[in-house]
Amino acid sequence: MMGGHISLSSVEVRLSGRSILAVKDMQIRQGEFVGIIGTNGAGKTTFLKVCCGLIKPARGIVKLDGRDMAGLNAWSKANVRKHIGYIPQAAEYNAELPFTLRELVSMGRASVKPLLSPLNRVDYEIVDNWIDRLDLSERRSQTFRSLSGGEQQKALIARAMAQDPEILMLDEPCSNLDFNWKYQITEIIEQLHSESKITILMVSHETNLLPEGCKRAILLHEGGILADGDIEDVLDPNSLEKAYRCRIDVLKLAGRRYTVNKS
Amino acid sequence: MDSFFFLVILAGAIAGASTGLLGAYVVGMRMPFIGICISHSAMVGTIYSILLGVNPVWGPVIFSALSSMSLGMVRPGRSRIDANVALAIFFNLMLGLTFLGIGLMHGSRSEVLGLLWGSLLFVKKSSVVVITISGLVFAVFAALFNKELKVLLFSRTIASATGVHESFVYCFFLALCGLILAVNLPLVGGLMIFSLITCPAAAAYQICKGHRSVIVMATVFGMASAVIGFLVSYYLDLPTGACIVIVSATIFAVSALYRTFRGQWS
Repeated sequence: MMGGHISLSSVEVRLSGRSILAVKDMQIRQGEFVGIIGTNGAGKTTFLKVCCGLIKPARGIVKLDGRDMAGLNAWSKANVRKHIGYIPQAAEYNAELPFTLRELVSMGRASVKPLLSPLNRVDYEIVDNWIDRLDLSERRSQTFRSLSGGEQQKALIARAMAQDPEILMLDEPCSNLDFNWKYQITEIIEQLHSESKITILMVSHETNLLPEGCKRAILLHEGGILADGDIEDVLDPNSLEKAYRCRIDVLKLAGRRYTVNKS
Repeated sequence: MDSFFFLVILAGAIAGASTGLLGAYVVGMRMPFIGICISHSAMVGTIYSILLGVNPVWGPVIFSALSSMSLGMVRPGRSRIDANVALAIFFNLMLGLTFLGIGLMHGSRSEVLGLLWGSLLFVKKSSVVVITISGLVFAVFAALFNKELKVLLFSRTIASATGVHESFVYCFFLALCGLILAVNLPLVGGLMIFSLITCPAAAAYQICKGHRSVIVMATVFGMASAVIGFLVSYYLDLPTGACIVIVSATIFAVSALYRTFRGQWS
């Protein structure tokens, strides 16, 4: 049976004695596409890191497919995370290293294969398949650092998908991209979700980047959940005005929701 | 050239190759300071072994292993302190302990001062065997954990989030890092070892495409730095350590110029 279920109960993350994230009770079901939105410093990245066990909460329980992350040793935790595809913000990876695109995508297989077991022909077939599917075939032997920002993002998605993930976590995958690339990347993410039915958690500043397939949104504000539910309800001007502290209108265009500052 | 110098060249080549190989990972992880940190902790181990009158072989190995493990506790995204700041503080502590140890010594300090600059010219066959074995152990580790090390190089956050057994591989890497630096320290010296870790690897990262070519070229550049540096010092009658450092820096400069004039990243 495919996994991808996350549950958080009474979770609190503290930094320097201050609470930076508090989640009372939350279930993210297998196959859901959840958009995580909020102001700067609202706790979006922290939320994502708590969900995959990168940040240990001061209190509360985080379960991945029913397994309490706090109760696992480092080895078991790594085994649980094997099927998490994680795409962090650019500051958390070294884009200057001369890895070729194929080498980078093949890193996805490192999570799945046991230690001391080198990648084989089947692994490289999976890698090449994802390179082709994301239309990067011509860039295969180019270095990651020589790719454009949009192509790099595609390469990171290919890397995560080569891992055969049950959960895909993306932290601002469209930041620093032009509007055409932003559109392309979100289209790819939506397509992956509709084809593979994996759980997707996507952090985004811009509400219009959450594709039509994203049916649920979580609005974070100052480390707390301001709204959680159907995206149409969460992207309500009243909720957004509380978070952003300005007058907001929400426009729907071609299946996407655009927030506009009215003041 | 005296036959003894062939042993010196062989020792230099092996030390240069193993530190060059190690450097490819240390520089790639953006932690070049780790080399000088661990080598200085090995130096502290040697100094206090001499002061306490115990076998000076175990002191540096124990100290460098302890410092490697301490550095392994600095976790990306989870530690409040940046890894490089932690390394700088650790280095200062080791430097302080080094000079305290030197200050506490009575009589000749030449043995200890030799640790700063190395004593390649006084190399023994047994030392060559030890550095060869440690270099081979690291090379085998790098080959066996190649797929995990690549992810660690690219992003420790991704490695940790996606179940690459990052903690295990990173701690294993740091332990071997400590071993390589501890056994090479008496030959290469605490100051020169930093140059041999950073310059050849940085040069390889300038001109190479693909992980494998970086590993090969960093090893070759490390070896070339030590051998050419020694030959220059021999024929021009100049200090060996200084020549090796200058040759390794020159290799980096030439690589950087090559990349600039080639004008492309691919």
